[in-house]
Amino acid sequence: MIDFQIGDELELVRNTALNYADDHLRPALRENESARTPGRAAEEAFAEIGFATLEWPELDAESGLGAVARYLVLEELAAADPGAALALDPLGPALYPLMELGGPDAVRDFGEPLLSSMGSRGLLIWNGAGAPRCLERKGNSWSGVVPWVPADRADLVVVLDEEGASVVQQGIELERLRGSGLRTAGASELTLHSAPIAAEWSGADGARRALARARLYVAALLVGVMRESSDYSRRYAMDRVAFGKPIAHHQALAFLIADMAIAVDSARILGLEAAWRLDTGRPGEEASATAFLEAAEQATFVTPNGVQILGGHGFMQDHPVEKFMREGRTLGLFFGGVDGAREDAARGMKAFPEEPLLPLGAA
Amino acid sequence: MDLAIDEGTLERLKGIRALGASQIRPLGIEADRLGRPTPPEHPFFEGLVRAGQGRTRWRGEGSGTQSEERAGSIGSSRSTLCLAEEMSYWDRGVAVSFPGPGLGEPPLISMGTEDQKRRFLGPFVHPDRARWGSFAMTEPGAGSDVAGIRASARKEGNTWILNGAKSFAANASRSDWIVVWATVDSSLGREGHRAFVVEKGTPGLGDFQVERKMGLKAYESTSFSLVDCRVPAENLIGGEEHYARRAGFKGAMRSFNATRPLVAVMAVGIGRAALDAGVEFAEKSDLLGDIRIRDRLERTRRKLRSARLLCWRAAWLADHGRPNILEASMAKAAAPTAALEAASLGMEILGVVGGRGDHLIEKLYRDVKAMDIVEGTGQVQRLIMARQLVQLPRD
Ligand SMILES: Cc1cc2nc3c(=O)[nH]c(=O)nc-3n(C[C@H](O)[C@H](O)[C@H](O)COP(=O)(O)OP(=O)(O)OC[C@H]3O[C@@H](n4cnc5c(N)ncnc54)[C@H](O)[C@@H]3O)c2cc1C
Repeated sequence: MIDFQIGDELELVRNTALNYADDHLRPALRENESARTPGRAAEEAFAEIGFATLEWPELDAESGLGAVARYLVLEELAAADPGAALALDPLGPALYPLMELGGPDAVRDFGEPLLSSMGSRGLLIWNGAGAPRCLERKGNSWSGVVPWVPADRADLVVVLDEEGASVVQQGIELERLRGSGLRTAGASELTLHSAPIAAEWSGADGARRALARARLYVAALLVGVMRESSDYSRRYAMDRVAFGKPIAHHQALAFLIADMAIAVDSARILGLEAAWRLDTGRPGEEASATAFLEAAEQATFVTPNGVQILGGHGFMQDHPVEKFMREGRTLGLFFGGVDGAREDAARGMKAFPEEPLLPLGAA
Repeated sequence: MDLAIDEGTLERLKGIRALGASQIRPLGIEADRLGRPTPPEHPFFEGLVRAGQGRTRWRGEGSGTQSEERAGSIGSSRSTLCLAEEMSYWDRGVAVSFPGPGLGEPPLISMGTEDQKRRFLGPFVHPDRARWGSFAMTEPGAGSDVAGIRASARKEGNTWILNGAKSFAANASRSDWIVVWATVDSSLGREGHRAFVVEKGTPGLGDFQVERKMGLKAYESTSFSLVDCRVPAENLIGGEEHYARRAGFKGAMRSFNATRPLVAVMAVGIGRAALDAGVEFAEKSDLLGDIRIRDRLERTRRKLRSARLLCWRAAWLADHGRPNILEASMAKAAAPTAALEAASLGMEILGVVGGRGDHLIEKLYRDVKAMDIVEGTGQVQRLIMARQLVQLPRD
C-alpha cells in the first residue's frame, strides 16, 4: 500500500550525505570550482563513508542499497555541488552498463580498481539516439571526439548505445576546457584514438536498463541543484526588503516562489517513483526517462528564476545561484538530453489500457 | 517506500471502471446535453443506494473520539484517492451528484457533537433512499476571502436566526440538510464564524437557484437565501463551547486541508480521461507517429503523473496525522493545471472536430476548469503555500 516513508536506514544514508555536503562541499564551493576538484580531504572522506559502492552488487555492508539510496545521496550532494558529486563518485553512471550488462564480474574487473586510487574517474558516453554519435567503431576499437565530458581525467570510458556497451582503458586523451557548469568535476574534450576495446557486452534490454539508471542519476543531481536554488532564493527573498516589505511578500514573488517549490517537488517525486520501480524490479525505463525530463525541464524554470529573485546580486558570483543556473542547464544535456528522453518516456503511449490507472504508469 | 496500489483497491477500481463505462459516463454526457443536473428521483441514484453507496464514513454511535482522531484523514485516505480519481475519470459531475452527506460530512465529524452526528449522519449509515447533504460557505460577495462572509447569525432564546445569501452549494436543493456558515459579528473575521445545520423545509430557507454552468452539469450548484431562518440551538455544530475555544475557523480549514488532495486527484482523473481520449483519437487519425503530438502527449502524461504523486503524498501525510498544508496546496495547485493542459491538448488533437461541441474531450475541457476554482483557487493555494514558505502575512 502506498507509503512515502523512506525508512530509518535510508534516512540515515540521506543524513550522512547531508552532513558530508555541509562539512566538505559547501564551505569551498568557489574554490573547488576554480581548482576543478573537491580536493583530497573530501575525496578521502567520501571513500571512507563508502558512498561510491552504495548500489554495487553486495560487496560489503554499505553496498546493495539500491536506487532510492543513490537518489537521496545524489540529491543531497548536488544541493551543494553537483560537479563535486560527479568528481567524487569514481564510476558515476559508468557503473550501470557494467552492472546491467556485464554483471558482478565486470563490476569487479573494471570498477573495483578505480576505488583504490583516489581521484579516479570512469566516464559513461552515450553513443546512441538523441546524441550525436561522436564515436566510431573500427574493428575492435573506438575513435572519435566527444566535445565535452565533466572530467579532467579518465581511467575508464564506457561506451553505451542501444545494442550494448564496451569498455576502453587506453588511447584516451583529454584536453582541458573551461566548462560551463559542473566545473568542480573538471571539463575536457575527450578523444579516443583507436582506443582498444577491453571488454564488451551486448543486449538491448540491459542497455535500456543501464540508460534508465544513468538518466535517473542525472535527474537526482538536477533535483538537488534546483532544490537548493529554490531554497536559497526563498531565504534571500524573506530578508531582502523593497517597497517597504520583504520582496517575498510581494505577490509576484510569493507566487513565483510557490511555483518553484511545486516544480522541485514534482521533479523529485517522479524521480523517487522511478527509483522505487527499479528497486522493486518493476520496469523503470519509461519512468526514469520521465523523471529525467521533468527534472531537466523544471531546472530550466527554477534555476534562472533563482537568479532573478536575487536581482543583480544573483548575477554576481558572491551567491551560488548563478552556479546553479549553469548547472541546471548543463546537467540536462547528458545522455541524449531531453529529446532522447522524450522518445523513451512516450513509449507505450496508448489509449484505454486494460488496467485501471495504468496510463500514468503507476501499476 | 511503496507506491503500489493494493489488491483490494485494485478490485474496487475495476468495479468503478465497469460502472463508469456503463453508467457514469453516459449519465454525465446526457446531463451535459440536456443542460440540467440529473434529477434526484433518477433510478440511477436508487441503484447506487441499493449497491451500498451514499453512506457516511461516520462509524455510528460510540465511535466519536475515534472518528474525531481520524477526522484529518476523512476523504483523503490513499485508497479513497484512487477511487475518487477513477470516478472522476468517468465523470466528475456525476461523481459529485452521488448521494451521501458530501462536503457537509467533514465538519460534522470533526466538530459535531455525538448527538449531531447521530441526528444528521445517522440516516446515512444505512440510508433507506438516496439522501444528500450539502455545504455552503461561498456567498455572492465572498468566495476566496472566506473571512468576508456576511450571512449573519443572531441568537434569540434557544434559537438562532440566520439571514444571508449563499452561492454555488453542491446538491443544496435536494439535500436533507445544509451545513451553512454564518457570522455572529462580521468585524470578528474568522472568529465570528459559526456552522449550522439547516434542515430542509426550515422556514426562511429558500429561493433555490440551480445555476447554469459551463460544465459539470450532472450535479446541481445551487444558490439560495436565508431570510429570518430560525435554526434550533442544537443545530449549531459543536455547540457554543466549541467556538468558545475559538476553533470555529480551524474546523472549516481542517476539513479543507483533508479535502484538497481529494479534489486535486479528481482533476487528475478528468485529465486522464482527456489524455486517453486524445491518444485514442490520435491513434485513429494516425497522428501518434507525429513527434510534435507525441511529445506533448508525453508532457501531459508526465504532469498528470507527478500531480497524482503529489496528491498521494499529501493524503499519506494526513493519514499519518502529519501536517500537510504545504503539500495539500501544492497538489491542489498542480493538478488542475495539468488536467486543463490535457483537455486543451485533446482539443488541438481533435482539430476542428473539437469545434463541433459533441466530443467527450470538448466536454472535459469545460468540466475541468472548475477544478482550479473549487476548494481554493490556484491563486489561493499559492497564498497558502507562501504563508508556509515565506511567512507571507495573512493580510
Ligand atoms: C462548480 C463549483 C462548485 C462549487 N461548490 C461549492 C460548494 O459546494 N460550496 C461552497 O461553499 N462553495 C462552492 N463553490 C464556490 C467556490 O468555493 C468559490 O467559487 C471559490 O472559492 C472562489 O470564490 P469566488 O468565486 O468568489 O471568486 P473570488 O474570490 O472573487 O476570486 C476571483 C479571482 O480573484 C483571485 N483572488 C482572490 N483573492 C486573491 C488574492 N488574495 N490574491 C490573488 N488572487 C486572488 C481568485 O483566485 C480568482 O482568480 C463552487 C464553485 C464552483 C465553480
